[in-house]
Amino acid sequence: MSRITNVAIAGVGGQGIILAGDIVAQAARSAGHDVKKNEVHGMAQRGGAVVSEIRYGKRIYSPLIPDGEVDVLMALELLEGLRHAHRVRAGGMVIANELRLPPAVRVPDSPEYPDDITERLRGAAENVAVVPAAELARRAGNARAANTILIGVLSRFVDLPVDAWKSALRMCLRPSLLEVNLLAFDLGRRRRKTAKR
Amino acid sequence: MSSVSPPALCALLSGDEAIARGAFEAGVLVATAYPGTPSTEILEALTECPGLRAQWAPNEKVALEVALGAALAGARAMASMKHVGLNVASDTLVTASYTGVRGGLVVVSADDPGMHSSQNEQDNRHYAHLAKIPLLEPSDSQEAKDFAVLGFELSEQFDTPVLLRITTRTAHSKSLVRLGERTERAAEGFSRDPAKTVMVPAHARRRHELVEARMAKLAEYAETCPLNRIERGDGRTGVIVSGIAYQYVKEVRPRASVLKLGLTHPLPERLIRRFARSVERLYVVEELDPFIEGQVRAMGVKLARAPTQARTGELSPSAVARFLGVRRRKSRAGAADLPPRPPTLCPGCGHRALLTVLKGLKVFVSGDIGCYTLGVQPPLRTMDTCVCMGASIGVAHGIEKVSGRSDNIVAVIGDSTFVHSGITPLIDVIYNRGATTVIILDNETVAMTGHQDHPGTGKTASGEPTHRLLLEDICRAVGVKHVSVVDPYDLRSTRELVRAALQRSEASVVIARRRCVLLDRGRVRRPFRVDAEQCVGCGQCLAHGCPAIADVTPPGSRRKQVRIVPELCAGCGVCAQICPEGAIVEAASGE
Repeated sequence: MSRITNVAIAGVGGQGIILAGDIVAQAARSAGHDVKKNEVHGMAQRGGAVVSEIRYGKRIYSPLIPDGEVDVLMALELLEGLRHAHRVRAGGMVIANELRLPPAVRVPDSPEYPDDITERLRGAAENVAVVPAAELARRAGNARAANTILIGVLSRFVDLPVDAWKSALRMCLRPSLLEVNLLAFDLGRRRRKTAKR
Repeated sequence: MSSVSPPALCALLSGDEAIARGAFEAGVLVATAYPGTPSTEILEALTECPGLRAQWAPNEKVALEVALGAALAGARAMASMKHVGLNVASDTLVTASYTGVRGGLVVVSADDPGMHSSQNEQDNRHYAHLAKIPLLEPSDSQEAKDFAVLGFELSEQFDTPVLLRITTRTAHSKSLVRLGERTERAAEGFSRDPAKTVMVPAHARRRHELVEARMAKLAEYAETCPLNRIERGDGRTGVIVSGIAYQYVKEVRPRASVLKLGLTHPLPERLIRRFARSVERLYVVEELDPFIEGQVRAMGVKLARAPTQARTGELSPSAVARFLGVRRRKSRAGAADLPPRPPTLCPGCGHRALLTVLKGLKVFVSGDIGCYTLGVQPPLRTMDTCVCMGASIGVAHGIEKVSGRSDNIVAVIGDSTFVHSGITPLIDVIYNRGATTVIILDNETVAMTGHQDHPGTGKTASGEPTHRLLLEDICRAVGVKHVSVVDPYDLRSTRELVRAALQRSEASVVIARRRCVLLDRGRVRRPFRVDAEQCVGCGQCLAHGCPAIADVTPPGSRRKQVRIVPELCAGCGVCAQICPEGAIVEAASGE
């Protein structure tokens, strides 16, 4: 039986999570897989926590990733990464943007934004890559291509051909943004030292 | 890995987009809706389709009536709405069951188990039972499209509206869909047949007989309907299932025998009995209410002993596994010590400015449905009731009738919500000599669902210019003598207008008009900054909860330290008006 790959993308509403999810889903589709993608939008967009889930393989039933079966968690923000880290399977991976975004509004009596997220991510998953995505994206020519840097990193750890990724970027992005994003994808994909494998 | 490329005419669509595609392919001529999560994208997708009219209605009842009219004139027509929208349209739905149709009529109800973006999680399958109409429940996007197409055919074949019920997970999940061509279907136009279309008692009595006969025919059809099928598994365990729950059952119990029901009202009784006899342990898996289970039990069919299924919240693969007794690896618990990240009003949101004024006036706030409902959260905490679309005005008026006071309560309602169902309660206030203060938060869009147009924006769903409904004109026309318009960014003027309205012994409307800041992104305003010399650390600027104002107080310090994040600041200047020390100032250019 061919294996199913489960990718979860977590972040803050407004960070481009849904678009990032579309790119991953289209890449899987371009490679000929059955794909399901799921997220909840609506109220969550207003600066709240958002998660998008993509599953691909020979035949996908549930659009929701079952508990503890996330292969790769891609976190666009550290706290949102930690919030979902327990869902990563044994031997799974976390790719996290090193960005810290404290919640816009502090709920009274709620815990402080943790200082030790990177350490805690390393405790939760066997492979953790913390990526300075904004800095790399600036190098590619636009700080807003940070998500594409992370997708580039992701592309090295899931089994999809590079052409599938590039065709997904072409499908999902405006032509004016394509060049910088293709560059960002390559920067992310070429990044060494992303994780102990 | 499969190396076969997907066929060219195959697309990754959400359930909503797939329903729109199905309606397009089925030759729909008229599609109407009122925006509501998770249904909004159905009509949005249809506005892109050639050859049909896709339009926003002021509310769901009107949407369904327009669709019914189109269907009676022989066109295929569709009305789509969220679950609570069907409450609004239910009056039309139940009698439309009596009139029946000419062209196919599909009503889409997008339910929200788990209440991701809703005020309740009612199970709208009950409406099919109440209205005595067929009910279709797709489980993925391909089915969403196919069921929509079949829905139009069934509607015409059985002369009935058809309820197509999806949930948030089917509406917002994307999966692969094979695309087909559109079949054009001309409408023959309306022709007179009062016995069918004029529901006076004498006609309606005869129509009700026909409705019951129709249900009997539909029940017979359900036995052989291709949407109801048995997937034979290892034989011992059998599961009756519909909608998204089917996917969860296949995920966690791939070898179970499954009776997959796509047409879930009326139920195929003989098929269910046959399936029950063929398995040793029979389960019904469904989300929310025991809609199928109750009917299966009433047939006298014996179900396996199983843990009680939750009647609240969403199903998940894990919940279905527990119910079916499937052992799975124990999952880890999430970290319990993380700060939550609830949604908030955006920096520069006019609603925040208005709610800040109301907080200062210490009034009760009878609220409504929209972004401003987020005002219930700390630190604003300025919302005391929120029930359903349009309820704010009637509820405020009722409270006032009991307290005998109108100087300590306001109703707040958004522009689109006011048009949806706020006008009739305002008429009630005037008619019954109320002195209610109504504040219309006019951000010139339906913001919460993603910026749709409505009659007050002067643009149709497809972007054509149209008459712009002026809210102040409506208020004056129903008899409100004191109508004012203010920019909520101007805190002092807003406060004075609201205070004057509260003290008046007649009803007043204050329209707080400020375009949604997300629509105004192109407009660059200079951000504000905190002048550390002037700041006394009182923390009052934090009390209106703007995400651009960061609390950077060092641990242990009693004196607050704040920083305005320039990338987030929308430059509205509301915090500068709140600061008692004048310590918040516009940043110099280049700062």
